[in-house]
Amino acid sequence: MTSIPMEYYLVLSGFMFSVGIVGVLIRRNAIVVFMSIELMLNSANLTLVTFSSYLGNVTGQVFVFFVMTVAAAEAAVGLAIIIAIFRNKLTVDIDKINIFKW
Amino acid sequence: MEQNHLLTYLLLTPIAGSLLILFLKEENPKLIRWLGFLISIAAFIISLFVYFGFDASAADFQFQDKILWIKSLNVSYFVGVDGISLLLILLTTFLTPLTLLSSWKAIEKKVKMFTFMMLFLETGMIGVFMSLDMFLFYIFWEAMLIPMYFIIGIWGGEQRIYASVKFFIYTMFGSLLMLVAIIWLAVYASGPLGSFTTNLLDLYKVGPSVPREIQSWMFFAFLLSFAIKVPIFPLHTWLPDAHVQAPTAGSVILAGVLLKMGTYGILRFCLPLFPQSAVYYAPFISMLAIVGIIYGALVAMVQPDMKKLVAYSSVAHLGFVVLGIFAMTEEAVQGAVIQMINHGLSTGALFLLVGVIYERTHSREIAYYGGIAKLIPVYCAVLMITSLSSIGLPGLNGFIGEFLILLGSFKSSVLNSWWFTVFAASGVIFAAVYLLWMYQRVVFGTVKNPELQNKLTDMTARELIVIVPILIFIVWIGIYPSTFLDMTRLSTEKILRSVGSFTLSLVK
Amino acid sequence: MELSNLSHSLNLLLPELTLSIALLVLVLFDLIFHHDKKIISYVALIGLLATGFFVINQFSLSGFAFSTGNESYRNFGMITIDSFGSFFKLIVIVASVIIVFFSLSSDEIKKTSERIGEYYALIFGMILGMLFMISATDLILIYLSVELLSLSSYVLAGFTKLRERNSEASLKYMIYGSVSSGLMLFGISLVYGMTGTTNLYMINSLIQIPHLNLFTFSFAMILIFAGIGYKISSAPFHFWTPDVYEGAPITITAFLSVASKAAGFALLIRFVKITFVSYIDTSGFWQLIHVFDWKTLIVVISIFTMTLGNFSALWQDNLKRMLAYSSIAHAGYIMLGLAVLSNQGLTAMLIYFAVYLLMNLGAFLVVMLIANKINSEEIDDYDGLGYSSPFLAASLAIFLISLTGLPPTAGFIGKLYLFVALVDANMIGLAVVALLNTVVSLYYYVRVLKHMYLTKPETAIPEIKTSKPNTILVLVLLIPIFIFGIYFTPLVDLAKGCITILGL
Repeated sequence: MTSIPMEYYLVLSGFMFSVGIVGVLIRRNAIVVFMSIELMLNSANLTLVTFSSYLGNVTGQVFVFFVMTVAAAEAAVGLAIIIAIFRNKLTVDIDKINIFKW
Repeated sequence: MEQNHLLTYLLLTPIAGSLLILFLKEENPKLIRWLGFLISIAAFIISLFVYFGFDASAADFQFQDKILWIKSLNVSYFVGVDGISLLLILLTTFLTPLTLLSSWKAIEKKVKMFTFMMLFLETGMIGVFMSLDMFLFYIFWEAMLIPMYFIIGIWGGEQRIYASVKFFIYTMFGSLLMLVAIIWLAVYASGPLGSFTTNLLDLYKVGPSVPREIQSWMFFAFLLSFAIKVPIFPLHTWLPDAHVQAPTAGSVILAGVLLKMGTYGILRFCLPLFPQSAVYYAPFISMLAIVGIIYGALVAMVQPDMKKLVAYSSVAHLGFVVLGIFAMTEEAVQGAVIQMINHGLSTGALFLLVGVIYERTHSREIAYYGGIAKLIPVYCAVLMITSLSSIGLPGLNGFIGEFLILLGSFKSSVLNSWWFTVFAASGVIFAAVYLLWMYQRVVFGTVKNPELQNKLTDMTARELIVIVPILIFIVWIGIYPSTFLDMTRLSTEKILRSVGSFTLSLVK
Repeated sequence: MELSNLSHSLNLLLPELTLSIALLVLVLFDLIFHHDKKIISYVALIGLLATGFFVINQFSLSGFAFSTGNESYRNFGMITIDSFGSFFKLIVIVASVIIVFFSLSSDEIKKTSERIGEYYALIFGMILGMLFMISATDLILIYLSVELLSLSSYVLAGFTKLRERNSEASLKYMIYGSVSSGLMLFGISLVYGMTGTTNLYMINSLIQIPHLNLFTFSFAMILIFAGIGYKISSAPFHFWTPDVYEGAPITITAFLSVASKAAGFALLIRFVKITFVSYIDTSGFWQLIHVFDWKTLIVVISIFTMTLGNFSALWQDNLKRMLAYSSIAHAGYIMLGLAVLSNQGLTAMLIYFAVYLLMNLGAFLVVMLIANKINSEEIDDYDGLGYSSPFLAASLAIFLISLTGLPPTAGFIGKLYLFVALVDANMIGLAVVALLNTVVSLYYYVRVLKHMYLTKPETAIPEIKTSKPNTILVLVLLIPIFIFGIYFTPLVDLAKGCITILGL
């Protein structure tokens, strides 16, 4: 079996990470911003798993389990907060959530 | 030398008194006023004990009291006085009760807080003059800022808030720079002395050996902080605001004592700690002093406001003191010390006198007055003596100081040019012009302003009690200055000796 | 893993265990006592005191918990117990105890008293996260503890739900926080890929041999710093701070500004020191492995942080927001101590933190007590407060003066030791920058004094009466400020004894 070279995975995860960051920066819908953040976390997961299998070291995979748990918790908290803000403002557009200024 | 706690008692009296006053009820201003006054008198009496116990034939710091305070930094509570600091302490303890007495009528609101602040301030001032540990010195130096901020800010004139903030920020900037320099010096001293120390007497030994370039930086860090306080010419802009806006008592303390802390600092720290730099930059700083003398005088001349006029005259007078210090001859430095006292007395008295008529008419405009000689003759006589003393009429105190400074600067090998003397002397003439002109406009002529008839009354007994002691000293210094010159002779010589060797090397 | 190892580890983790048990008890009590929720505050207090007791017990102790047991490396664990950690844990616990007292008298929290059980449970979650952050020496645990702290605090920032600004603060905190922890995680994954381990000690021994791709490694370090920098609100990761501090309930703001920041700093110091120091020379300076220029990074960031914090604070009209910017500036000052990279700098940081705890909590406490009555945190509403409520105003004035760093308050001591460390390391330029910043900060702190004492109020404000317990609490924070301002040897000795980080 020919294995896929490690670089491919890393490039993919780097790409995902960049997409995540760009998403956070340019999208205005709070939920989409959240999805972008998840993308960032998952790109890190991909890197961890890649390195783990390449190095033959289990630590990375263990780490991924933890990250997945954290990501789930973060999503739960995040959505709850978005709901709270939606009740107040009836919008999830970040540009309209702007009581605070410099 | 045996331990003697007299200075510590002197230091503690006002602060303990101020804490006592905090516990009194605001509703009884009379009690607070009397108590504040008595506490400051007590401090004055203790300082007299110090004076009578002082041995003028020894150049060392006397009444030393030392307790190790912070072991890890080798900082101690270390106080002591020599002739110069004793004289300034006496000035402080002498002026404080008078200002408290003078403000019995002027300060009507928040008497408790005012008395508290004044006594707190007194501790700070006394502490600055007697500290022999740089760390201790710095703490007192900073501790005075807060009461002064409140004194200007709460009881001041219309633009008091602007003035107080400006005063605070200016001085704070300078003093923080000094803090860095103190730490720098102390860290440097840990090389030759083996440990971090802020003991001034030890640092005296180390300072001159600091490499030239670093020494200049430290010198300027210290000098900047003191120059703001003095104030030396381009840094003076806070002074007119603070003086004009402060209540009378604040102005008197500010002019009488606070400004002296700057010149005292130069004399106590800049010269002996960094002699090479001091000698090297002396002409430059003297130039600034001359500019200050002439600038202050010219600006004073065109002021329509009496208090502002006196404020600018302070810039000019302090210019003389700085010139005297940096001339670095015995006459000049002695003259500078005497001039510090003179300025404290005469300018303090002038501020008090402006305050006296301001209380009655609520105006400080020169144009508002005119012809008051017939209405309040006693006041006019007193104002005459004070103005003449400020001008430097022979027989009164101002003459002694200015004459010694001019003589000393003429002979000075550090300045090495008689131009300094010539320009400074022109300042004396200007002083005569602006003060006499003001006197003429206010006192003589016909009463143009009908309001004055009703409002002006002559000085009350209380006001005379305030002003007469100052007049006594004005005449005393003018006629028999040896009392004071003898006290400071050895201390001055000691400072000059530490600079002396470098002076010679420069001449060659 | 052997049983003896486990029991040894658990013994070292007594404070964390106690805290976790207290957390469970809180949740249980919240279920049991429906009507009278008062008891929950006391349970929280007892739990914290017990934790504090174990932390103090640990002061002289040191050791590794949960050693990997890998023979090829020295036997390092995921968790390190040392006096450095104990110092910061104590700071966190003291801050937490004070916060519980805060919460008891905060109007904002009282309005949501039926949910007080959740409130304390979440706070305990934060504390647990902080304690682990302070002692973690493994990247996995670092990430998890940061997340534990963050998730709890996201919720707490919007806890009261009373006003729109609460939930907005919460959302902003959440988004910024998740992004920066995502960055950190990606950085960690890169470090793992390059070294094959997540243990800091092992990374240290691995990077001593120069075989790394320095560019990628530096990139990873900057990503990790983003995660930590966010916790200590250093520029340019500070954007959340003012919004969250203004929007969150004031008890949480105070807690974030002290405890969360302390934990973040402990993590940063430990991370830098364990991972990068190759040896410490005789005069106490840390010699770093030449793979990443921490010194430059920290110097630049700290200058940037304090300047930005101070200048932004200048035109704030809301006192909470001003204190937020001031806390950013203070983070900048504290970082100076790390920039020195010496034991002396570290001592200065510890001293600063102890002092900062007192003065910052004090300032927030007084602001809260005032806000309880006048229902405002705008500086303009403080006009004339100095005369209507002299005690509170004087206390606030002293806390602010201490934050400025004027003698004879404790704030001066903190700055003094930082300056001494800087000058000793010959970084005088940096000291001058810090000094100029202090002058700027003077302006906005004094502005509050000006409003309280010098400005005449348009409408006379009523006297604010403080209850006895609150007065005592203010005094408890106020008196040490003077004591440490005048006699600070004990504090300095304590800090000096607490700079040892295990393994170095």
